[in-house]
Amino acid sequence: MVKTFEDFPGVQWIEGAGEFIKINDEKCIGCGNCVKVCLAGCFEVMEKKAKIESLEKCMECAACWYVCQEEAIIFSWPPGGTGYKSDWG
Amino acid sequence: MDEDFDIIVVGAGFGGSVAAKLCADAELKTLMLERSENVGDKVISGLTIPFQGFLFAPAFIRDGNPPFERPADGIVNYIIKDIDKGDIEIDDSLKVPKPLSPIIAFGYNTYCKPFCQWQARKAVEAGVELRTSTTVTNFIKEGEFIKGIITDKGEKIRAKIVINAEGSQGILAIKAGVREKYPPETISLADTYDYVMRKEDIDKIFGYSVKMCWGWDEQKISPPLGYGNGLMVWPYRSSIHFMQDQCLRTDQKSVPNLGKLFDEYHHNITSKMLWWKDLVAPRAKLRARMWEGFEIYVGLNKKLRKMPNHTDGMILIGDAAGLESTELCDGVPAAWYSAEIAAQVAIEAIKANDVSKAFLKKYDNKIKAHSIIQWSIKGRNRYNLRIAQQEHDIKKLKKYIHQGWGLGSLTHFTTPFMKLLLAYVKEDPTIITKWIKMYFRYYQNWLHENYDYVKKKVIKVRASKRVRKKERKFLSTLRFIDLIMKSMLRIRRVLKIIIIPLSNSLNTLMRKSLPIIEPINSAIIKLLNPISNKLSNKMIKFVDKANPSIFYVY
Repeated sequence: MVKTFEDFPGVQWIEGAGEFIKINDEKCIGCGNCVKVCLAGCFEVMEKKAKIESLEKCMECAACWYVCQEEAIIFSWPPGGTGYKSDWG
Repeated sequence: MDEDFDIIVVGAGFGGSVAAKLCADAELKTLMLERSENVGDKVISGLTIPFQGFLFAPAFIRDGNPPFERPADGIVNYIIKDIDKGDIEIDDSLKVPKPLSPIIAFGYNTYCKPFCQWQARKAVEAGVELRTSTTVTNFIKEGEFIKGIITDKGEKIRAKIVINAEGSQGILAIKAGVREKYPPETISLADTYDYVMRKEDIDKIFGYSVKMCWGWDEQKISPPLGYGNGLMVWPYRSSIHFMQDQCLRTDQKSVPNLGKLFDEYHHNITSKMLWWKDLVAPRAKLRARMWEGFEIYVGLNKKLRKMPNHTDGMILIGDAAGLESTELCDGVPAAWYSAEIAAQVAIEAIKANDVSKAFLKKYDNKIKAHSIIQWSIKGRNRYNLRIAQQEHDIKKLKKYIHQGWGLGSLTHFTTPFMKLLLAYVKEDPTIITKWIKMYFRYYQNWLHENYDYVKKKVIKVRASKRVRKKERKFLSTLRFIDLIMKSMLRIRRVLKIIIIPLSNSLNTLMRKSLPIIEPINSAIIKLLNPISNKLSNKMIKFVDKANPSIFYVY
């Protein structure tokens, strides 16, 4: 299955990516840096902890992982053939 | 089932396919793994691949017919002092002069996907086994040695050497303990928009020129204090590519709200810049929006620059090796150069039956000795633009723009360029005519959309007597150049005494002579403008009608 979203034309997401970004609750201090840099709105902060709202629009740029000073974000690539794709990059 | 290969290449981007092809050319059993469904699905960039990339590219690219979208002959710079009052200075002096332009381009604007696919097909034709939809999750390690990879499906595939072309994030290299995560101020997020537009409109509004915008911080058209690039718009064949970017951290403390900032930049540019509002907006239709992080200032940090690019059984190339261009923001040339060097070292290592760190150090040494890679990753010019923007110093800003993309670059680019050029000429005296043919062939390919695997128009060879005469003249000129170059090789020992010290001091020479050369150059260009235009049009007509075979390299 392939998903598209109106606010991000020209990009498709192939389902099956799963939870390829995870947050280590023990390390997270709820600073919200991941929320600030994510253009896909994947994160939210609730009760001083970052939570993944949805990875369905994630473009796998890893900005969240770069800005996490507490190393609380565990970033890995989604399984082969899943996640975002575009012809216009 | 466990399998054995000589080489495994992780990633089929700009670097990966080159390394894989060159290894397969040397008859090594080579596997290339790519996590996306199709090669190029996940590669995002606004992109001019600069001329030096093509000149010193692996032969199959230089002498081939890769697909690109439009030659680039210059940059029009908009320096925005007050966007609301329309106080904007336009500097369009950064152009390859006619009659050289547009055939002699300073680079080629390209979509990443078709280009990466073109490279991957060349690799597969050379014998590389390509597996897409395959994510590498880890390495097989025996002691300190990397002995292969593990995929997301749990397959273990062994190889004598892994060439890691995974890209900037370096997730695997970090996992292997070879490299560290880059700090966020060295990474910029490129927010990229692709617009469809009629070719005729692009020809009129852009021609062959890229547009760049720079501005004082409070104008909010690009990153505050220059943390990132300005705005860049690339003309493609029948679309334009718009890229705004911003570093992920601005002062080692603050992480900006990127969504808010990008909306602000985009709104200001598209609603207040007259060339966009009046000329582009009514004719352009948004087709795609995507983003990707890229290394922007990694090369300026000595510690990051010194991180190893190899370990026992593994070599890192391109972005994965931190070889993005700090100077100009174009990572493709360094990806190509490092891929070719990695393939050479890997081939030697397998022949010598020694894939240890000690042997593969040759790779790092060659990267350190590569004059253009080093110039490209250490260059401070683009970083300096932030100081000029912060200080509202128009003189400084223009100086750095010129030092980055204009004649000013000769003050720091001439020596590394000449060093590499001389090494290529020494190796192959016919390289000069290969380069000339490359420019003419690429331009003819652009005119006729005639690329390998994608031939949209068939070039009809029905040339007139006049064109045939010009073809003969073109070929005899090339033969003459080859003859001169070959005869110069005979006296190379004498030349060595003069040329090497001269090339070493060319930067200094340019620094001293540029204040004199620059005004003379612009006066001559102005004076010769009518003749140059005519000559340029004549050359375009010739390239259009000429038999393509005269531009081939056999």
